[in-house]
Amino acid sequence: MDKNTIIENLGKILTPAQVNTDSEDLYDASADRYKKYAKVRRVLDVPVPAAIVYPGSAEEVSQVLAFCSEYKLNVIPRAGKTATEGGLENWKENTIVIDARHLDKILHIDLYNMQATVQAGVPLQELEDALREKGFTTGHSPQSKPVAKFGGLVATRSIGQFSTLYGGIEDMVVGLECVFPDGHISRIKNVARRSGGPDIRHIVIGNEGSLCYITEVTVKIFRYYPENNRFYGYLVKDMETGIKALREVMVNGFRPSVARAYSEEDAAQHFYHFHKNRCVLLFMAEGPEGIVQATCQAIEAAVEKCRDGIVEQVDSELIADWFNSLNWSQKDIDDEFEAMKENDSHAGFTTEISADWETIPIIYNNVIQRIRQEFPRAHDLTMLGGHSSHSYINGTNMYFVYNYRILCAPEDEMRVYHHPLQRIIVEETLKLGGSMCHHHGIGKFRNEWTRQEHGTAYYMLEKLKQAFDPEGIMNFGTIYPQEEGAKYQK
Amino acid sequence: MKKTCIFQDTEKTENTTDLLEAAERMYGRGQFESHAVLLADSFDPLMGSFHHIIRVARGLVDSYDPRGICDILENLHKENRFDSILIPGTSLGQMIAPRLAKRLGTGLAAGVTDIKKNTDYIEIIRPACAGKILESIVHKGNGPMMMSIRPNAFEYTPGEPLQTVVSTYTEPVNSQSAVKRLHVKKNRQTCDIRDSEVLIAGGGGVKDIFPELYRLADALKGTVAASRKLVDQGIAPRSIQVGQSGKTVSPRLYMALGIHGSMQHLAGLRHIASLISINTAANAPICRLSDIVVQGDARQFIDRLMKKIAAYRSKGNEELT
Amino acid sequence: MKIICVVKFVPDVDSLVCDVETAAMAGTDFRMILNPDDVCAVAFALGVKASSPDCHVEVVSMGPLSVRPHMEDLLRLAVDRGTLISDPVFDGSDTLVTSAVLGRYIATRPFDCLLTGSRSLDGGSAHVPAQLAETLGLDQMLGIIRIDPQQFDSTRAVFDVEDENTVTTYEMAMPGVLGVTRQSGYKLPYVTLTNMRRDVSDELAVITNQDLGFSETEIGPAGSLTKVVKTYPRTYEKKARHTVGNDEEGISYVFNFLKEKGFL
Repeated sequence: MDKNTIIENLGKILTPAQVNTDSEDLYDASADRYKKYAKVRRVLDVPVPAAIVYPGSAEEVSQVLAFCSEYKLNVIPRAGKTATEGGLENWKENTIVIDARHLDKILHIDLYNMQATVQAGVPLQELEDALREKGFTTGHSPQSKPVAKFGGLVATRSIGQFSTLYGGIEDMVVGLECVFPDGHISRIKNVARRSGGPDIRHIVIGNEGSLCYITEVTVKIFRYYPENNRFYGYLVKDMETGIKALREVMVNGFRPSVARAYSEEDAAQHFYHFHKNRCVLLFMAEGPEGIVQATCQAIEAAVEKCRDGIVEQVDSELIADWFNSLNWSQKDIDDEFEAMKENDSHAGFTTEISADWETIPIIYNNVIQRIRQEFPRAHDLTMLGGHSSHSYINGTNMYFVYNYRILCAPEDEMRVYHHPLQRIIVEETLKLGGSMCHHHGIGKFRNEWTRQEHGTAYYMLEKLKQAFDPEGIMNFGTIYPQEEGAKYQK
Repeated sequence: MKKTCIFQDTEKTENTTDLLEAAERMYGRGQFESHAVLLADSFDPLMGSFHHIIRVARGLVDSYDPRGICDILENLHKENRFDSILIPGTSLGQMIAPRLAKRLGTGLAAGVTDIKKNTDYIEIIRPACAGKILESIVHKGNGPMMMSIRPNAFEYTPGEPLQTVVSTYTEPVNSQSAVKRLHVKKNRQTCDIRDSEVLIAGGGGVKDIFPELYRLADALKGTVAASRKLVDQGIAPRSIQVGQSGKTVSPRLYMALGIHGSMQHLAGLRHIASLISINTAANAPICRLSDIVVQGDARQFIDRLMKKIAAYRSKGNEELT
Repeated sequence: MKIICVVKFVPDVDSLVCDVETAAMAGTDFRMILNPDDVCAVAFALGVKASSPDCHVEVVSMGPLSVRPHMEDLLRLAVDRGTLISDPVFDGSDTLVTSAVLGRYIATRPFDCLLTGSRSLDGGSAHVPAQLAETLGLDQMLGIIRIDPQQFDSTRAVFDVEDENTVTTYEMAMPGVLGVTRQSGYKLPYVTLTNMRRDVSDELAVITNQDLGFSETEIGPAGSLTKVVKTYPRTYEKKARHTVGNDEEGISYVFNFLKEKGFL
């Protein structure tokens, strides 16, 4: 089916006003933040989608998906546009982007049963603000909070800054509604817990738009006690000490809302005013008074135990202050765009991995060493470091950050810098049994390693794809490696 | 008696005497004979400072013709056998000096900022590597010592006025440059904050009094800049935004009023010689980098500092009259 | 039209850190980059070539063999010919000798214009282009911020020179030596990924003293009439942070600071 006919048909399924074929918008829709630099410099190498549609209900999503299935048109589900791993990148001609813009209602806030129900296009900040007014919180605070929307947050198994206390999105989702490529609408009801067969929510949570389209989500909510917030900050000798301290708090059974250890270079960009070229360890405790007190005692005890590696304590006010200006806004994103137009630079990239306590410091050191020795453009690096920011009783993550002077043609930036750095990080992580994708999703640019990541369990993912998306129309290239798409990666 | 030849500073004639200080460092005051070579017609400020003033006859050579001027200096050297030839490091000087050194087959040091007289040799000092290091150079061979002198590196204190002998150089010039000057435009004073030596920058803390910054900027002959917060709120235009997504600046003086100092803002600051921050919160990150932190209200600060500057300036005026 | 760009590869000075203790530049393997002013010279030449394909651009540099990869990168752009003048006997030559060596080679080549930078990042003397011009009997100008591409050919060049207060437009008869500065903003394209691995080693000519025939006394330290006897880092006074209030004492402190530093 040719493009014009597609658009005509979409205009009949929905209304013409819900079909967007503006060339700027379509160009913008061809890639996400993985190729932010090439996008700004107008040298993207991928095809442009055919149209962006804005359905207003699950029924409309169903009709669009059925249409796309019939004509084998690639579909990219989209909401807040904050994807960083190529999950929103387009690798097919005649792709339809289904944008959740009109699915923007907060449907129900239930303060007694501690649940809130929203449509997929509701920005997290909006729900959070509505809850805060009543003294509650979602507990979910990724750096993209002001911009990200629920559809994407659930589709990517996102995690927020307070996850060590509240958990990731998977711990917060109660029920949801989604639409499958054949048009079938599934509603998973809201119950506190059940054992009714395998937990099918997990087919949807994290599917990154490769299996279905999320239209509605119900999440747990929590009481908010801002008056009890307490902050701790320390300068420490090295990452090992920092991670040891984090582990000590966790294994003893405590849950600070924030527990982070920053390497020197990463600390330098956040804490230039006090880091003195050291690693930075910081904690935040929140919640009911008694819990906060106990958590603080635990933090202090853990730090005391690691005192050999502790250089000095930092004024808590500085930590509190820093925390309040951490999140992106749409302005920040727009600003970076402007800067990329004029300068041969951007604000950097990240690769987030996870592993158990003893493996994480090894992976960290291996990666740093290997990059410095092996990466051909190591001399262009302006920053290389990482921080642990999400801890569990049995391990933690490592968020590698890196930036570099871009001394190559804009269309080559990804292949000369970004991707080779990501490759080293992924390889070292997988070698030691960690996970290469802690919370950003696999997207397209880590699909080279999806099989390695899952090993023999990849069989289960494959079968899901065959079952739910037999025509392969859902977000071609995301999660599942595709030969045809390799030219956009390598 | 040592002889030195000093070529005129064509950008500011009166500064020609500063090169005498360089000669004094080499030879000692009163221990040398100075010959100034001038293209200008009027040179009263130089009378009494030089032993000889050699005026190049008008029309003999274009004032922007390094080859013609080289001819003149070469001839004068043949006549006088100078021990040193000092040329101001102006744009013109930088084209003349190397050519002359080549013609005379002698060593040349560029952009000299200091001279030290040691017992048996003269040490010539100049910056290199974008000013990060200083090089000590000695002159070899029999030719005259040649130097191009960095503007404002030396300052001359006049002594007893000399009986200056003025002569005119009239010999025809052989090697002319085939260069024509077509036209000259005054360099438009760009309001680009990157060109300013003094920046008065405002952040979120001064959003209600932003216009006041212009008063302070005027008084210090600086330019107003802004952090992203003010640009986002529409209080300041994007063209004066300092930061990662704005401009990167390297002024000699950066006054940060009500600026928090986020890393994005800091990304726009490079090589600031002096940083003064005015903030109600002495804990703001930017204070950590400042030479002076003024803890207090920005409006009060501006008012009080302006009063002091005005008083100083009017007093200065009084003294002159 | 035939253009020769005379360029120099210099240490990446911006990233050099001076070790105050040992008074040496930290790190012996600092990266070499094409001198920023010279980048603009080559960029302008390639721009001319892009609009007049029969324009021939040669890049000439005098330096150690270690700059070969950098010369090869230029050949991976549209540069037609690359010549590296390199010989251990040239080591330690001052600018006078350098210009003599360059001059002897360039005198054997046909050209309408020599494009150079104005100042090098490391030495920064701006001598070589002028002395090269003198050797070849050519006119030379430096500080060029713009060359008019419509008035640039084998007979003449029209260009703008900027100084503190003015922008002056000149016309110079060709052949001549034009020194551009990085303020001109001419940007060199990057070698594309596909070109990065292209083998251009046989397109680079290496000229030694065998080809040029200088005697020992004319080159190297022996031939140089200036000698650098010592280098030391510029020391900056250690900064101490001073906190004051908005009172008379505080304002006076700021006022005096500004006065002393000459801002009033």
